Amino acid sequence: MSDQMKSIVFALLLCLGCSTLLTAAATRLQPLQAENIQIDRKKNILMAIGLLDSRQTYPATEINRLYQENIFKYIVDPSGTIIDQPTSSSMDQDNLMPIYLAMDSNERIRSYIIPVETRGLWGKIYGYLALQGDGSTIEGFTVYKHSETPGLGGEIETRWFQKNFVGKKIVDQNNNFMSVSIAKGRALDQVPEEKLPNYVDGISGATLTGQYLTRGLQEILSEYEPVSVRFRQNLLQCRMQTDVPWCENEN
Amino acid sequence: MCHGAKMKIKNNALKIFSRPIWSENPINIQMLGICSALAVTVQLKTALVMALSMTFVVSCSGFIISLLRKQIPKNIRIIVELSIISTFVILTDEFLRAYYYDISKQLSVFVGLIITNCIVMGRAESFALSNPPHLAFIDGFGNGVGYGSVLLTVAFIRELLGSGNCFGIQVVPDYLYSMGYENAGFMMLAPAAFIIIGLLVWLQKVLTKMAS
Repeated sequence: MSDQMKSIVFALLLCLGCSTLLTAAATRLQPLQAENIQIDRKKNILMAIGLLDSRQTYPATEINRLYQENIFKYIVDPSGTIIDQPTSSSMDQDNLMPIYLAMDSNERIRSYIIPVETRGLWGKIYGYLALQGDGSTIEGFTVYKHSETPGLGGEIETRWFQKNFVGKKIVDQNNNFMSVSIAKGRALDQVPEEKLPNYVDGISGATLTGQYLTRGLQEILSEYEPVSVRFRQNLLQCRMQTDVPWCENEN
Repeated sequence: MCHGAKMKIKNNALKIFSRPIWSENPINIQMLGICSALAVTVQLKTALVMALSMTFVVSCSGFIISLLRKQIPKNIRIIVELSIISTFVILTDEFLRAYYYDISKQLSVFVGLIITNCIVMGRAESFALSNPPHLAFIDGFGNGVGYGSVLLTVAFIRELLGSGNCFGIQVVPDYLYSMGYENAGFMMLAPAAFIIIGLLVWLQKVLTKMAS
C-alpha cells in the first residue's frame, strides 16, 4: 500500500472511531442536557421576578417547586386578551404570543414575564423581561442564551448589566409607550434627566450588541403593548376561582 | 540488576510527572495557556473544573496519540493529533453540559478552546509522539497538574480579594466590611490575572535562584 493510500485509510478509520465515540456520548447525554436547559429557563424566569438570586445555585427540585407554585403560562392574542388555549383552530397561530404570569399570595398578578428573542451581533439573544402588574415598570431582565463575545457583548448575561433594568419604565412621563433602551456608555452621562427612566447603562466595547438589544426589546415590547395597556388601565388584576382564568374589571 | 532497572523506570516516571509542575511549568516557565488562565480564574470553582478538564484532555490525548504513534502517517500527523484532542474536548464539554450545567455556562467557550491550548498540542508533538503510552499519560497528567496549580493559585487570590469568598463561601468576616474594608473590583478583571501571573513567574524565578 502506498504512503498516500495508508494516510487516507488511517484518516478514515480515525474519523470513524472518533465520530462513533462522540455520537454515543451525545445520544446518551442528550436527555440530561435537555432537562438542564429546561431548568435553566425556569430559573431565568424566576430570576427575572427576583425570586432567585443569580449569584447562588439552587437544586433542580427547588427551581421546579418555585416555578410550579408561582408561574403560570398563558397565551396573549393580538388584542391583548390573555387566554388559556387558542379558542378556535381558525385563529392565526402566528399572532399568539406566550406570556408567563406570576401571582402573589392574594391570587393577584404580581408581574408578567415576556420571552425575549432577538438578534444580537453574532447570533440570537434569548432571555426574559419581567414587568410589574402596573404594566409600566420593569421588574427584571435575564439572558439565558446568546453568542456575543465573552467579556464584551457577553456581559449582557452578567448581574451588573441586568440589575440596571430593575425599576426602569417602558413608558414616558405621560404614560406613552417608550420601550427601554441601552445607552452608549453610562446612561447618566448620555441621556437627559427626564429620559433616564427609559435608559440603562451600556457595556463599553459592546455598542452594537446594545443597539441590537435596544431594537429587539422595542419590537417585542410593542408587540406586547396591547396587554401592557390593559395592565396599565388596571383591567387585569385578579384571578378568579372558576375555570375562566381572568376576571376583567370593566370599571 | 532487574531491580535497579525497575527503580530507574520509576524514577524516570516520577521525574516526568514532577518536571511540568515546577521546573518546566507550562504557565510560569513556558508561558503557554495564558489565555484561559486569564479568563477562568475569577472563581475557584470554574478554575478547578477547567483544571480537571484540561488534565483529563492532555493526559488521555497523550496516551492515545502515543499508542498510535507508530501508525500515525507523518504527513497528516498534526491533523490526527487535533482530531484526537478535539474528541476528548467535546466529550468533556458534553459531560459538563449534562452534569454541571451552571459551571459549563460560566466556562462558556473556554472548555471548547482547550483544543487550541498550546499545552495540549505541545505535549502531543514533543512528548507523546516519541514516548510509550504510560509515560505520555504521566507527562500529560503532570502538565495538567502544573497548569491547574497555577490556575488555582491565581483563582484563590482573585476570589479572595475580589469577592471575599473561597469556593463561593464568604471568608472575609462581616466586621471587616463594617470597618470599611472593600472588595477589590479590579481583581475581577482580566488584567488582575495578568499581574498575578507576572508576580508568580517572578516569585518562582527568585525561589529557583535561591535553591541553586
